Amino acid sequence: MPNMNSKSHVHREGVTIWKALGLMPVLVFLIVVLGCGKRTMVVLLPDPDGTTGQVIVSNPVGSVTMNSPNQATSTASARTAPKSPVVMEEEAIQSIFSGALEIQPKPPLHFLLYFREETTLTSASSGLIPEILQAIQERDSTDISVVGHTDTTGNKEYNMDLSRRRAAAVQSLLLENGVQPDHVKTTSHGEENPLVKTGDNVSEPKNRRVEVVVR
Amino acid sequence: MKPMFVAVPFIILGLIVTGECRADTEHAGVVKTVEGAAMIVRSGSPTAATVNAKVNMGDHVQTGSDGKIGMIFQDDTVVSMGPNSKIVIEDYLFEPAEKKLSFVTRMFKGTVSFLSGQITKLAPEGARVETPSATIGMRGTHVLVQVD
Repeated sequence: MPNMNSKSHVHREGVTIWKALGLMPVLVFLIVVLGCGKRTMVVLLPDPDGTTGQVIVSNPVGSVTMNSPNQATSTASARTAPKSPVVMEEEAIQSIFSGALEIQPKPPLHFLLYFREETTLTSASSGLIPEILQAIQERDSTDISVVGHTDTTGNKEYNMDLSRRRAAAVQSLLLENGVQPDHVKTTSHGEENPLVKTGDNVSEPKNRRVEVVVR
Repeated sequence: MKPMFVAVPFIILGLIVTGECRADTEHAGVVKTVEGAAMIVRSGSPTAATVNAKVNMGDHVQTGSDGKIGMIFQDDTVVSMGPNSKIVIEDYLFEPAEKKLSFVTRMFKGTVSFLSGQITKLAPEGARVETPSATIGMRGTHVLVQVD
């Protein structure tokens, strides 16, 4: 009798252990799928120009808005609300994010070239071409965009075409000076992306421009 | 009939020359910096990430334990990743003239830095990062995210 008892006792334990092991893959699957174990931490840094923007961290349970430098919030899971922001020490931020921060590329260089009318560059803007060429050389850039814009005088279709011709004019200048054609992408934004917001049909020299971005 | 046959090739040539033909798969960004093990996985195929490699919508970008990578996107957003990190560019649209502005990144693990570009300037709700526990809405900022 005792033998039978111990046998069934062991047998019961064995089944329990196997049952537990069997559930493990299911649990792991659930954790992965539901992301229960995935904590998210968000830190807000000032922009390169010194101002600080805003970030909103949210999930179905709660939401947190941050707009001060070095504020941080942690969210333990999709079922836990994001924690109230705290200010994080520089050293703590560096120790976690040094890899990502060290490898951060320089932000793209922007140049604004202005036009008198149609596709004639102002003389000041013509003088910027050598600077643009130098930036391309220094960065060994293969990703340069040339974006044409207009102000709101005239109708949308005319301005779409004018901005395209402006971009093409600047592109020609770059190609004439040895920049590879497949490194330059031209786009036209017409009157849709003004530097200075104006009403319709307003002459605004600051909007009559081509923006060159060197990445 | 004859004039039409002659005209068609010229029309096509004209379209190509004026660049009005837009390729369907324009790249979203470009790799600018990379160190150690870093990969771009496109349609399931991984390639080692190198400087000037293109990053497309749909690409997974991944770093190994010694890897780091920095990318610049068409709207100037700068994304850089530390070691053991993985993201996917879920959505990327930058066509301001047509008001098509969207940048959605899904982050699976690691440490990533996001410096917003023009998409958030033109459409404040246009850029966000999705992680397993939260949605991060960037309103013109420099944001660091860790998922572990």
